[in-house]
Amino acid sequence: MAQSVDFENLVSSHYGTLYQFALSLTRDEAEACDLTQETFCIWAAKGHQLRDVTKVKTWLFTTLHREFLGSRRRQTRFPHVELEHASAELPAVSPATIYQLDSEQLLEAIGQLDETYRAAIMLFYLQDYSYNEIAEILGIPLGTVKSRLTRGLEKLHHLLTNIQTPPPS
Amino acid sequence: MNRDEARQILLLYRPGTNDADDPEVAAALALAKDDPELSRWLAEHNARQTALREKLRQIPVLAGLKEQIVSEQAAKSKAASRRGAMVSLVAVAAIVISLLALAHFYLAGGSSNGQMANTLDNYKSQMTAASQAGYSMNLVSSDSGKIQAYLAGARAPSDYALPAGMQKTAMAGCAVETWQNSKATMICFRSGKPLPHDQYGDLWLFVVDRTAVKDVTDMSSPQFAKVNGLMTAAWTQGDKLYLLSIQGDENDLKNYL
Repeated sequence: MAQSVDFENLVSSHYGTLYQFALSLTRDEAEACDLTQETFCIWAAKGHQLRDVTKVKTWLFTTLHREFLGSRRRQTRFPHVELEHASAELPAVSPATIYQLDSEQLLEAIGQLDETYRAAIMLFYLQDYSYNEIAEILGIPLGTVKSRLTRGLEKLHHLLTNIQTPPPS
Repeated sequence: MNRDEARQILLLYRPGTNDADDPEVAAALALAKDDPELSRWLAEHNARQTALREKLRQIPVLAGLKEQIVSEQAAKSKAASRRGAMVSLVAVAAIVISLLALAHFYLAGGSSNGQMANTLDNYKSQMTAASQAGYSMNLVSSDSGKIQAYLAGARAPSDYALPAGMQKTAMAGCAVETWQNSKATMICFRSGKPLPHDQYGDLWLFVVDRTAVKDVTDMSSPQFAKVNGLMTAAWTQGDKLYLLSIQGDENDLKNYL
């Protein structure tokens, strides 16, 4: 069924967010480009095996993340452990401060997060994926997704409070 | 559920999504309606979530990426479908290239030992012809580090300096060409314009040791010339001779210098 998806339309619809996701994982433009391209190459070769055409987007994100892990496999392992709950009090970074950040500052902050948190947070914000979908893409239990998001957000907010933003003009 | 528990649940709440369908989240939201302190906290938290979401979605995507993915895939599909006819195609291409090279040799005036005369004009002609004659890449990659490492391994010029205008242009790969008895580097770039399915790029940079081309003088400013239908700019920097070619005119080329 999925082979009826037009390749160019598929690329148009998803290459931007896939690239942003890849960039947050790799922190390197060229590597993010290659990872995005590789994901679509794999789709072209194996996408016809996907029976549910509504799952294309999730399939692409899952594949990209899997490829990223593959490329990092020799460097590190990701422990799938439950993390303790973070405090409900996030550091008080104001929405106005966030709006003043430029993309590089935000990427820099995201890049300082542990890889364990980075993927979950990007899926959470980039695509509004549900916890179940994030769990499916990352291949981890639902509880771990929530723990990673809570802890990752806490760390991200800490990092954002330390960024110097220019005074509003 | 008390205020702290509700706050813990709402930490991961994103306004405008289906998160509120979760019964636990719905209960926490209901509690916030009746609790002014929780309600104030939630309003600020929602604004923060919205700001983060919008900012992350504004991360710029590299120009030309979509075209690169589509054209690369189209080229692969085309190559696969033509695999059966590949042998005869290669044979025909080899004959055509040989004839072109032979014709060029006679038109450009060959040297007495049968090799093309070692002049800048002939160098430009051979390199631009190479980029037009259905070349194959030795390495297909957009990673400048990988390309440089490959060229260094192949003992081709790899310590090149890209002009400012080229530094943000997406690379597509590289090949090693031969000029006289020296190796010349060819790096293929993509301008971001749509490409024919069988074409890797539309911008080519050639780098060779300047001593490999005999009549090269100091060219600190680029010299423009039309060669084999391509607009070219040639210049020297350090011990290297650079040749940049594009399918376009002089103004198009100047954008990359």
